Formats: sequence, C-alpha cells, structure tokens
Amino acid sequence: MTSYFVTFRSVTYAQRGERVLRSAGIGCSMQRTPRVLEERGCGYSLALSAGALYQAVAALRQGNVPFRRVYLRDGDGSIREVEL
Amino acid sequence: MIYLDHGATSFPKPPAVRRAMDRAMARCANPGRGGHLPAMEAAQTVYRCREQAAALFGCEAEQVAFTGSCTQGLNTAVRTLVRPGDRVLISGFEHNAVVRPLHALGADITVAGQKLFDWADTLSRFQDGLKTHPAAAVFTHVSNVFGYVLPVAELGDLCRQYGVPFVLDAAQSAGSLPVDLKALGAAYIAMPGHKGLLGPMGTGLLLCGELPMPLLFGGTGSESVNRSMPDFLPDRLEAGTLNVPGIGGLEAGLALVRREGPEAIGRREHRQAMACARALEKLGLRVFTGAHQAGTVSFLPEGDCEELARRLGDRGAAVRAGLHCAPLAHESAGTLDTGTVRLSFGYDAEPAKTGEFLRILENLLTGKM
Repeated sequence: MTSYFVTFRSVTYAQRGERVLRSAGIGCSMQRTPRVLEERGCGYSLALSAGALYQAVAALRQGNVPFRRVYLRDGDGSIREVEL
Repeated sequence: MIYLDHGATSFPKPPAVRRAMDRAMARCANPGRGGHLPAMEAAQTVYRCREQAAALFGCEAEQVAFTGSCTQGLNTAVRTLVRPGDRVLISGFEHNAVVRPLHALGADITVAGQKLFDWADTLSRFQDGLKTHPAAAVFTHVSNVFGYVLPVAELGDLCRQYGVPFVLDAAQSAGSLPVDLKALGAAYIAMPGHKGLLGPMGTGLLLCGELPMPLLFGGTGSESVNRSMPDFLPDRLEAGTLNVPGIGGLEAGLALVRREGPEAIGRREHRQAMACARALEKLGLRVFTGAHQAGTVSFLPEGDCEELARRLGDRGAAVRAGLHCAPLAHESAGTLDTGTVRLSFGYDAEPAKTGEFLRILENLLTGKM
C-alpha cells in the first residue's frame, strides 16, 4: 500500500507536527525515520495515508512546523523523495 | 506539620504528581531514542509537559528546555550572554544561583536597586545601569528572602529600550504569578519545577527566547552524525537522558497550577503571608513587609534566627532561617549579620494553618512551650 512520510529534525518537531495534523483532522503516526533517509543520523517521521499529503504539508506550513523532506513508500517497499 | 518553607520546595507533593511519577517509571523508556512503545510513551510524556509549560508561560513547546534545576538554567543563560570581563546588571535581591555563575565567569557585576519594596528606586537604578550598556541584565521576579515582587514588565521594557538582553529568575514566581516569555521579551527565563510548579525535585525549565549555548554536550537522539550539538531547540540544551519520571510529575504539577491559575494561587499565598506579617508585628517582631510583596515574609527574632527555626521545627513548624543562599538580598536589607526567619507560603496556604503556626510561635516567644 502506498503511503507518504514527512521527516523532522527531532522527536519534538515530529510531535508538534503530529498535534498540528491531528487538529486539522489528518491522521498520522509517528515513527523512526529509516536510517538511509536520514543523512544526519536519527530522526522521526510522520506517516500519512496516500490521499492526505498536500493537505498535511499545507497544515504543517501554516502551523510553522519545520520539516525536512517528504517521501513516498510504494507497495513494493521502495522509497523515493517527493518534490513539493 | 505546618510547612512554611515552600520557597525551598513545595511540600508535600500533590498525590497526582506522585502518581504521574510512578506511572512514568512503570511505562516509560528513553524518550526520543527508540521507536518502540515505551520509548514513544516517554516521548509523549515529555512533550505533554512541554505543552503544559508552553501554554502557561506564553511560548512554543520547543522553547521549553528541561533542566535539572533553576540554577542549571541560570548558568546556561549566563554563559550564553556573558563573556569574562563583561559588565552585567543585576538587582540587589539576587540569589547565589545568579551571583556565583557571574562571579565564576569573571563578570563585572553592577548591583542596581537595593531598596526593599521600592519600585521607583529599582527602576531608576536599573535605568542608570542600563545607560552604561551592560552585556546583559539578570534579575529575579520575586526575592526568595523577602518576597519583594520586582517590576519585571517595566524592567523588561527598559532593557529592550537600551538593547540589553535580560534573564529572569522566576524561581519564586513560576506557579504563583503570571510569567510570559513572549510578553516580557526575555532572552531566557529560568525556573525550578519543584517549587510553585509542584513537580519533583531535580526538575527545572529554561524558557528560551534566543538560541542558547549548551552547558552540557552529548547525545540528544537527533542529528547523531553531527559532532556539534544540534543548532535547534530543545535538543541543543538536552544532552543525555531526560528525567522522565520527574518530567511526568512536573506535567501533573503544571496541570494543577493551570487548573487553578497562578494568580489565584499567588493571591492565596499573599493573603496568608500578610495575615502572618500583621500578627508578627503585633508580637513586637521586626517584619519586612511592604507593597509589591508575594507570599513570602521574613522577620527578625530577638535572638538567633537559626535557634528560633530549630525550636519551631521541634514543635512541628517548618520554616527557614539564615541567609537563604542570598547574601546580596540580606546585604540590601541590612540583615547580612543576623539573617532572618523566612515564612514562605505555598499552594496549600489557608487560615487554619497560619493560625496554628502563629499559636506555636507565640507560645514559644512567651515561654508557654
């Protein structure tokens, strides 16, 4: 199943993002960022359902929550960055 | 026990605080490190506490950094703003948690305003000091010895007017008076978690209006490849494992404070402090009281203040005597040689306890006990 995830610099920013998305009615779950995607080592991400990406990015920007990048995870497990 | 030493720490801790600590010890692992359930539960506990503090103190959650004490926060703030030899302006009522870090740095300390309960003097002396363009100003919100509430909003305005960053020591005000980082425009506000915020000892908060220099360096669970500390808050100040049970307890304490409101708690403390002050004056004691006073009052007994405190303690009344780690405040008030007996009221202040304390004291002074 296709899903997106948004990466953050730290657990605190991911949590702030989680609060912003939930208050905007956007479901998400926090998880560790895959090591291969975190060039600075160690970080947290918010996983989103496929249809929620653009609404989520808008909500994060509106809430001034800094995030690093957005990735798409395909059904076969492959991951690629999404250019916004 | 009639406990009137809330200026040292709130006691006893509310049951909700103790329960929250117990829950954290049972359910929380290391926050911000792993992705498993106990680590995530810990991270949520920590973040909820940040949110409670941010809502109470007018800032964003990431501007709330956890410290082990107010002293640690003050050291961090001072080391960020002051270099050796810099001139620093402080009030005449500072605790050693301010004076000693500045002295250790080799700062050129200017004391401004030493008249108790006198806002006009405090403000005019600060204005004179600010005209010399110090590197920073550091002042307490409430004197831990005398309960003098300094005019912090006006002092903040003056500092901004002269472009001087300032640090507020909210050790005695957080939880009893409004404290707002954004409204005050402070560079940093330091506070303990275990006094007016009702949390456990070993907790503190540093509210950061600016990016600080870390005091400790180490793992943060973020940007592990980077050999420098992260350049963002709160990670920049939180090297090493956080005191999660303490933070869980602090969250519960903050929730209690927010439910009632600091102003209401402060009014209750102040009412009892003033009732006590009036009764002490009737007993012929020298009492330090005046306008702009919080829920703390100091007095001078006939004999040694430590001896009176010991005798009160033997009879079930807990007070603190001596210099209260604030020799500068005693110097300002002229009590450096004697010290004072300090009564500091807390969230549980009520007339019955005040009355019982006064009965014990009066009996002691009149030789009935």
